Amino acid sequence: MMNIEIPATNRTPSVIFDFAVGHLRITGESYPEDVTTFYNPLFEALKAWLEATEKPGCQFDFELIYFNSSSAKAIMIMMEMLDTAAAKGMNVVVNWFHDPDDETMEELGEEFGEDLNHAKFHLEKRPN
Amino acid sequence: MFANQVYELRANLRDQGVVFAYSGYVTEGILSGVGDALKQKLASEDADTKTVRSVFAVFVEQMQNIIRYSVERLPPSGAKGGPDLSYGILTIGTVANNYVVQAGNLILTEDVEIMRNRLSALRDMNRDALRSAYKEQLRSAPNEMSKGAGIGLIEIARRASKPIEYDFMHVDDQHAFFALKATV
Repeated sequence: MMNIEIPATNRTPSVIFDFAVGHLRITGESYPEDVTTFYNPLFEALKAWLEATEKPGCQFDFELIYFNSSSAKAIMIMMEMLDTAAAKGMNVVVNWFHDPDDETMEELGEEFGEDLNHAKFHLEKRPN
Repeated sequence: MFANQVYELRANLRDQGVVFAYSGYVTEGILSGVGDALKQKLASEDADTKTVRSVFAVFVEQMQNIIRYSVERLPPSGAKGGPDLSYGILTIGTVANNYVVQAGNLILTEDVEIMRNRLSALRDMNRDALRSAYKEQLRSAPNEMSKGAGIGLIEIARRASKPIEYDFMHVDDQHAFFALKATV
């Protein structure tokens, strides 16, 4: 599958889905004008890859400075896809990086992490 | 002469601590533009990271509430074509060392009670209850994200450092003015 590389804009994060390596990253801020238009192609690509890949594992890094409430749903949908893949036997690692000074982002990470039953989840401080 | 009038408008806002004010038709483009200016202004102040991000988060949700839910819009609800404009007012300012983000727009009178109940419930929640409400709303929201999953008000209450304030005013038989204030 073709890798995905989308540069960041003011309102959308940088997205690097390196499917060849199994390393996926979303970095920056997310409050898109139209959350559906931005995230739907990512959902489709992620879902298709997780179903088709023969890789034993993958790593997904969330390095978000800020996301709005509509993007929260998008993050949850991707987390669910990753957890489903992990339930089927894939070794999935989800890393949530947050600014050490931003406890809201830390809390949000904890909340998303609690819902992962099969994927491994790490919450890590990293200054932006 | 009219300089006096315009100055007075400005002075009125500044007297209330308002630093940014926008009144009129709002679009996503306005949100981007005002948002960029707000980011720059906040970066120039010595507020901590968490406060800066929270003010910005509250601003985005308040703007998007106007964009999605104001009933004063062009084209009028139900009509097709043309731009999608939503009328509302939003101010950002400082009062007694806190940031205050206020927004207002028209809603249908028939929606006042349901809004009042939702906001009153949010006002009574402590931090842990708000966390749970956010999570629950996120889980129960349908998988299409177009309407923001109804979670914006919870996000505002979470980011605020004091309970959110709200008020409704009668406008005419069908419409009420809804105002929301968040202090960060």
